[in-house]
Amino acid sequence: MKKIITLIALFVVVISSAQTQFEQGMTKAFALWKEGKNTEASALFERIASADKNSYLPNYYIALMNTTAVFTEKDKTKIDLLLTKAQDALDVEFIKDQNNAELYALQALIYTGYVVADPMTNGMKYSAKVMEAYAKGKAIDPNNPRIVFGEADYQIGGAKWTGVDTKPLCAQVDKAIELFATFKPETPFSPKWGLDRALEIQKTCK
Amino acid sequence: MKTRITFILLLLSTFTFAQNVISGKVLDQKGKPVAGANIYIDGTYDGATSSETGDFSFETTSTGNQFLVVSFLLFETFKNEIDVANYKNQTIKLRENVNTLDAVVITAGTLESGDKARVSVLKPLDIVTTAGSAGNIVAALQTLPGTQSVGEDGRLFVRGGEASETQTFVDGIRVAQPYGATTNNLPTRSRFSPFLFSGIAFSTGGYSAEYGEALSSVLLLNTQDEPDHNKTDIGLMTVGLSLGNTQKWTKSSLSVNMAYINLAPYQAVIPQDVDWNNPYQSLGGETVYRYNFTNGIFKLYAAFDSEKFDLNQKNINFENPIRTDLNNNNFYLNTSYKGTFGTGWQLTSGISYGYSKNKTKYDINDINTDENAAQLKLKLGKKVSNYFKLSFGADYFITKFNENFDDNISIDVKNGYDSNIFAAYTEADILFSKKLAMKVGLRYSNNSLLNENNIAPRASLAYKVSKNSQFSFAYGDFSQTPVVDYIKYSKYHQFESEKAQHYILNYQFTQPGQTFRAEAYYKDYSNLVQYDTRDIQYNSVFNNNGKGYAKGLDLFWRDSNLYKNLEYWISYSYIDSERQYKNFPRMATPSFIANHTLSVVTKYFITDWKSQIGFTNSYSSGRPYNDPNQTQFMNGKTKSYNSLSFNWAYLLTTQKILYFSVSNILGTQNIFGYDYAKLPDPNGVYNRQAITPTADRFFFVGFFWTISQNKSENQLKNL
Repeated sequence: MKKIITLIALFVVVISSAQTQFEQGMTKAFALWKEGKNTEASALFERIASADKNSYLPNYYIALMNTTAVFTEKDKTKIDLLLTKAQDALDVEFIKDQNNAELYALQALIYTGYVVADPMTNGMKYSAKVMEAYAKGKAIDPNNPRIVFGEADYQIGGAKWTGVDTKPLCAQVDKAIELFATFKPETPFSPKWGLDRALEIQKTCK
Repeated sequence: MKTRITFILLLLSTFTFAQNVISGKVLDQKGKPVAGANIYIDGTYDGATSSETGDFSFETTSTGNQFLVVSFLLFETFKNEIDVANYKNQTIKLRENVNTLDAVVITAGTLESGDKARVSVLKPLDIVTTAGSAGNIVAALQTLPGTQSVGEDGRLFVRGGEASETQTFVDGIRVAQPYGATTNNLPTRSRFSPFLFSGIAFSTGGYSAEYGEALSSVLLLNTQDEPDHNKTDIGLMTVGLSLGNTQKWTKSSLSVNMAYINLAPYQAVIPQDVDWNNPYQSLGGETVYRYNFTNGIFKLYAAFDSEKFDLNQKNINFENPIRTDLNNNNFYLNTSYKGTFGTGWQLTSGISYGYSKNKTKYDINDINTDENAAQLKLKLGKKVSNYFKLSFGADYFITKFNENFDDNISIDVKNGYDSNIFAAYTEADILFSKKLAMKVGLRYSNNSLLNENNIAPRASLAYKVSKNSQFSFAYGDFSQTPVVDYIKYSKYHQFESEKAQHYILNYQFTQPGQTFRAEAYYKDYSNLVQYDTRDIQYNSVFNNNGKGYAKGLDLFWRDSNLYKNLEYWISYSYIDSERQYKNFPRMATPSFIANHTLSVVTKYFITDWKSQIGFTNSYSSGRPYNDPNQTQFMNGKTKSYNSLSFNWAYLLTTQKILYFSVSNILGTQNIFGYDYAKLPDPNGVYNRQAITPTADRFFFVGFFWTISQNKSENQLKNL
């Protein structure tokens, strides 16, 4: 009896230690990210991704961090590297699951990165891809706030060039903000970003 | 007992969790520490980030042999098997990632556009938004350095070369008839609408061993790999109608474009310096079908057009104008497959077929020609590493040309030729570092018509001197079968290939929004065809003893930082070139060469007006012409040429665009050259007539409408 209990105890210890390892890792990575230690955070996500292939989240965050870095990166030669790295990480997860709306929202963001980096050269090719990625994401989850907002945000950004009417787009931003309020992430580490920027864009709409 | 087992179990598990320390230092190739590299044991959480000094140290619970991974954005990821118990104070050297954008690229001779280009001198939209280009790819390229604007011809003349010395390739496969049909001193246009192409590389010399049968230049057009989405484009223009449709499916897509051009209404309103019996009319279409496989893409490109016109042209040799009535039918088909297989192998293959039939009635003469041209191509590439790439391939060109000349009195002759050319090439791309790159190649060809073998070496080298600037050098041997005007008489004379050697030195400076290029070149021509009669005839005495040279300097500056929403570029070319070829009695500068050429192109987007406004000014110094009244050959020089063009695109709504353009707004009276009478008048003077544009200005108004799901799509790129 004792033996069985010990074994069970050991088993539990092993399991729980495995769980905490992922959680600990993710928590630590987020903490580093918050502190602005992006290199360390990205490195940790990379290590978690290499050890834990069950969750899409580590690769998702590697892709997200490298993509968002593009919007502030001044050294243009780095942009391509950052986006390639983001795309590689995202591709790993796309192979496993093509039905995750969050991945499409991020895919659209990577393409947006290319457009922002050089609108004259990349605008035409990637604009269509951005819209296509959002459309695919929407087909999977029409109420994902990042997709609803991202799609509107991208078009508002281009309105100056395309002359498109921003009113219905602003309505989409309002809708996205409502969706953000009711959105329940699947796990504590699941994507939940986007509300801040949506609120900012909402202000410019008015 | 039980407790003992438990104890042993616990001990074992503790033992398993025993820690090994991994430590070391990360350096780059030069031995400088790399900070922020991610070092970890693959498949575990164990790892660390290197410090400012490149040092790292971490503990791992894993045992035995494991893979150590070191990754950092700017370097190639390092992966090596290590014994975790025994890996301390090790030094890891990372190799720089040569795929980075700041790696050196060979730029000598090449002007690129499109999304794959590292440094775009021309952006995809430029072809259509450059004032004066009117959607003609070639006209837009004529604003780049190294080209000559030859207004009465319309084709691409590059660095002292004849227009026929430039070959056009679509998806790597040659187009035998890239230009529309035309007659004496009426400019032609490129057959290709810029609409279906996503990348253009224009080489003004020193190009890869993959391309042959071109003495001066190659123009590489690549069709889009994937279209944006389903849509319909409608265009209403003062010169005709256009209609396009694109359908996209999961793995494949189809684009179709049709255009009908009729210049009659336009010419009724704007008087022309040409007497038309039947103004220019054409019906043309292009289609691209693409199918994506897992590892490759198949493309089919087909184009046809049918053109006709009928006009009377003044001719100095005759009292009455001479009538030309021309009908041309042209068909071009190109299929290609590009894919990857194995590890790092790339396969490109393709077949093209072109058919062109011309029926010309010139005065009372009937001239009928038809040409069948085909190419088969296979190319293999192997990426051995990021530092070494090897490619090799073979080409087979078949051309059959027939001409029937009937003067409806006494002469009725047939001329023509059958040509088969086999060629094979190999080329290596070597990157010594991020700063130094080299490309060496060799092309072998066998021409059955000329009965000759040729070996042409090509080499280029690029060295990056600082973050923003680099030098490139290119050398190459080039050969080309003489033009059809000669080789149609192959049964009377055994011709040889014409030859050229290129030496190019290039300097390029780039930083975001700005590009500066300077290129000096020297071209040596040999084996050019000469003949001894006034016109090329079957009984002319031909030889291949002609020679020539071209040397010059090309400058290019493009900037988008000067003023918000303003883009501009300036091209300047200086050339000094002489030849002794054709029936030239001595070395002389041919009539298509102007010593100085300057183009200034500006584009300004006015957000409040939802408009893009552009100006293009093209200037070239006077061109030589031969005046038989003077003793010295080619002694005349025309006055300089200048044309200022303007365009305005206005976005009515996102999907509706109104477009307006006018060429030569200042109405400069340009003269391209002079035609002299074959015989002197009774006073012994050879009379002449000026070669001028058919009209001083060209006006264009168009309305373009796109119907698609995506409301932000429009045809701005079509203009």
